[in-house]
Amino acid sequence: MKRSPIGLLAGAGGGLLVLFLGLPILALLARAVTGGLLPEAAGASAVLEALGLSLVTTLASLALAVALGTPLAYALARRRVRGRALLEALVDLPIVLPPAVAGLALLLVLGRRGWIGGPLEALGISIPFTTVAVVLAQTFVAAPFFVRAARTGFAGVDRHLEDAARVDGASEASVFWHVTLPLAAPALAPGLVMTWARALGEFGATIMFAGNFAGRTQTLPLVVYGEFQAGALDAAVAAAAILVLAALGVLIAVRGFGWRRALDVRSI
Amino acid sequence: MVAALALLVPAACSAAPAGSVELTVFAAASLSDALTAAGNVYEVDNRGVSLTLSFDASSALRTQIEQGAPGDVLASADMANPQALVDGKLAVGPVVQFARNELTIVVPAANPARIGDPRDLARPGVWIVGAGESVPISRYIDECLAKLAALPGYPAGYAAGVASNVVSREDNVRAALTKVELGEADAAFVYVTDAAASDAVEVVGIPAAANVEAVYGSVAISGSRHPAEAAAFVAWLAGPRGASILATFGFLGPAGE
Repeated sequence: MKRSPIGLLAGAGGGLLVLFLGLPILALLARAVTGGLLPEAAGASAVLEALGLSLVTTLASLALAVALGTPLAYALARRRVRGRALLEALVDLPIVLPPAVAGLALLLVLGRRGWIGGPLEALGISIPFTTVAVVLAQTFVAAPFFVRAARTGFAGVDRHLEDAARVDGASEASVFWHVTLPLAAPALAPGLVMTWARALGEFGATIMFAGNFAGRTQTLPLVVYGEFQAGALDAAVAAAAILVLAALGVLIAVRGFGWRRALDVRSI
Repeated sequence: MVAALALLVPAACSAAPAGSVELTVFAAASLSDALTAAGNVYEVDNRGVSLTLSFDASSALRTQIEQGAPGDVLASADMANPQALVDGKLAVGPVVQFARNELTIVVPAANPARIGDPRDLARPGVWIVGAGESVPISRYIDECLAKLAALPGYPAGYAAGVASNVVSREDNVRAALTKVELGEADAAFVYVTDAAASDAVEVVGIPAAANVEAVYGSVAISGSRHPAEAAAFVAWLAGPRGASILATFGFLGPAGE
């Protein structure tokens, strides 16, 4: 069968994009592998420390996003909310904001002279330059991914099934836990994954708001940047390769678990 | 896509009018104000030459040049980074010394940690911001702390005490200055010229016996498409005209003048 010229052109364009997206990642991993950098990085205390900090802070950010994002998403999906369009735009804003803008904005509110940070400072509590600041920066940029996914999930649950449970005498809490949540789970799970992945990759807001200090605020992306700035290209490549493998692992797992909607823009 | 990009490159390069030379100067963050002013004068004095300035930590700029960033001159806050480029055949030696600088300590105008003396920096709970370990000022600060620690009246473990109060290593000295200006950090070591450039900080002096001389050096980069003009700028910066402009920003002239 002969393919049309337009079909060939489209195929070539698509192939070029795959190369464009894939080659840099391949080059990064190739350099890490051929240079024997991965075992070295795995043994480097700076990388391990940063990896540990990244894991702890991203899980904390995820927990915050779920704890605070679930009620918000439920309200957006189910309740009459005044100014819904504005509220939804506000929640989505961090997704499109440059993270450096997020870092600056966080400083103005939670910095030592900020709207909230100032009064806290008077009580002896400082947030910038602490691990707490890392968690907050990551939550700021990542939580919208969970809220969006959860909102879609809750909106998609068949209300008749909930009503049926109510008729059978279930309490509102019981309805939520045993009916709504399980039915929304297929949308929530990929939301969790994307939120975690976005938190793992967070850089700009973190370095501006939380600073850069090994063991306290230096997450893995900051190691990549710091090592590169210092001219230690191999160390930067090694840390970057670990991040790529982690992110790739997550995306493959998402597909493996059939959570394809995580990769669907409609859920993001 | 690659082909499309390749088509764009000559178009971008031919944007400058014929006969004019555009020099890209990578310069230490501490030179931000001074070199901008010097560059304006240079452009007036040398019709047909226009300067594009890029400021960051000298070590970061060196990395960029090593990774192939197109540039003509590196003006560094030390002699070591440009020398490393010369050693790697990436710059044309010798490194020309063009300015000197000294260190000082800055605190926010309100001085929340009540720092009145370098000794106070080792007090627990003081938040100090520094620069990355490879940034030139970090080496100068280490030297300065060692000298301070040896002064009478400074406690044992002074340098370690200060080091343990460092809460962040910023990209470069100006980023550290900004964190003090914002009041996010209690103190930072910066160059005297950085402190002079800011209205929002107070200076806590370092005893002359403990201060450190920062020596600034520049080189023409090997890959420059305008090697003669690059070398001319390097020489001009170290000459009387360049030095007199830098002096108005508080820089000391090159040694031996």
